[in-house]
Amino acid sequence: MNPMIRKELRQRMRERRGWLLPSLYLLVLGSVVTFAYFATTSERGGSDIQGSTVGVVLFLTLAYAQLALLLLLAPIFSAGSITIEKEQRTLAGLLTSLLTSAQIWWGKFVSSLLFVLLLLVTSLPVLSMAFAFGGVGPWEIFSATVTTVIILASISAIGLYCSSAFRRSVHATAVSYATVIAISVVTAILFFVRMMMYESAHQQTTYRTWYDLPLNIRAPMYVNPFFFLTASFAPPKQLYPAWITCACVFIALGALAVALTLRNLHRSSDL
Amino acid sequence: MIDVEQVSKSFDGTRALDGFTLHVGPKELFGLVGPNGAGKTTLMRVLSTLLPPDSGTAQIYGIDVTSQPRRVKRLVGYMPDQPGVYQDMSVREFLEFFADAFGITGTRHRPAVDRALQRSGLEKRSRHPVEQLSFGMKQRLVLAKTLLHDPKVLLLDEPATGLDPIARIELRAQLKQLQGEGITILISSHILSDLEDICTQIALIDAGRNASDAEGHSIIQLRAPQTPVRIYEIELLGDGAPAANVVTSIPNTRLLESGPGRLAVEITGDEEQAAALLRALVVAGVNVIRFDHRAVGLEERYRLAFREKRP
Repeated sequence: MNPMIRKELRQRMRERRGWLLPSLYLLVLGSVVTFAYFATTSERGGSDIQGSTVGVVLFLTLAYAQLALLLLLAPIFSAGSITIEKEQRTLAGLLTSLLTSAQIWWGKFVSSLLFVLLLLVTSLPVLSMAFAFGGVGPWEIFSATVTTVIILASISAIGLYCSSAFRRSVHATAVSYATVIAISVVTAILFFVRMMMYESAHQQTTYRTWYDLPLNIRAPMYVNPFFFLTASFAPPKQLYPAWITCACVFIALGALAVALTLRNLHRSSDL
Repeated sequence: MIDVEQVSKSFDGTRALDGFTLHVGPKELFGLVGPNGAGKTTLMRVLSTLLPPDSGTAQIYGIDVTSQPRRVKRLVGYMPDQPGVYQDMSVREFLEFFADAFGITGTRHRPAVDRALQRSGLEKRSRHPVEQLSFGMKQRLVLAKTLLHDPKVLLLDEPATGLDPIARIELRAQLKQLQGEGITILISSHILSDLEDICTQIALIDAGRNASDAEGHSIIQLRAPQTPVRIYEIELLGDGAPAANVVTSIPNTRLLESGPGRLAVEITGDEEQAAALLRALVVAGVNVIRFDHRAVGLEERYRLAFREKRP
């Protein structure tokens, strides 16, 4: 086993946030799902509503709330990961050992991602509630989970890049959050503004599907994690092109972040 | 063995190393001194494979630090200035992690960690969190970690900074012991008395270049065999002229300074030559009241080398 992974996991689980964050995460997620349940059932007096409708509402609420929460938490674990080594002056010790830059990166990446995945796993009991109501199949749960993992892996890789590029954890974390906001909120705003401009300019044009919109208007949404998650709810045969495109974009972003992080670790003059 | 040949390294246009050259023989305890910003830490980082030089070559035991860094890492133990520790680990966990990081696994793992604990003198505190150790103990722990993989060359960047006198004495003793075990040590420090006590030779560095002392030496020999040229100070009663005449008549002896009641003489040769001069002075009726070898200490040589370069 990579000694970095063992070290990182040991250190993370000793921190107070090792148990505090999962507790808070479950508390918030449980509250959101409970609210969604009562909001759905009280809307139509409770008796007319079908169980499958409740199941679908709970599942969608849970999937989006979970993604939003994990997007907020992922930079906490990754962005401070390398800067902490700089701050406590231990990076030189790692780089002059026989560990390669790739091993150091992998250890940091796995431990950051594993902790976020732990949160994902702890939400399974809440997810099983939605499953029990019906309306949601194993495919939806599987594709939503895989999509969330791809997004989180990319965000963790970007967080690690920020961590390698800055000296202080606070700066790396701030830039990581700025990136999360840029891809989650700014892309959505950009899309809606351009779509409104397009609609006002082409009043005669009618478009019935997503793909009727020009690519330059749709493009920002392929970087949007919430759009990526939405695309994952399509049946297996309709994953192309939206889901596949999003997956490629996120994997490419993650790969670019990995390459830049390794380059920064090689250039270790700012220890 | 450490061979540095014409190494240069710049950061954003500032030359940290500017054609620096250094050769350290096997099993030497070699000092590196120079003012702040002279390039000592940059040189240490180049040798420890952390920084590639812009030009020139740096080799450890004939292995180039730039082209074969992994082989060099196996040979080198590097202790940076202000070395860091993982505060939330126990002493043993810290050493175990670095033993893994140096590829010390299987049956070699536990003995290596136990030896490091013994070396650091922290056996009884092996279960204690590192954050509970004093600064001196942390330095010992980091030095023990640096020695985990039995390096042949030790690069120590300001290891005594912040240590109390007892810890400094212990560090000096440990370094002498390591030299005795056959490890080549390159140490940079501002504590010149420490270097003078333990080093065999000292290199001077300033503005990234080899610097020279007042006598033009860029390497100061501290543990070399008796230097053939020595300076003696002679105090006498009365006029110095007869004594000066005696000095000029003795072969291998040169008068450096002459004043009322005082002479400075350079003698080339062993102590027999000095004894012959003293004998000649007494026979000539000169009343010698002091005949002393002038020892020029490292601090004095450092002051002479760098005093005019301070801003």
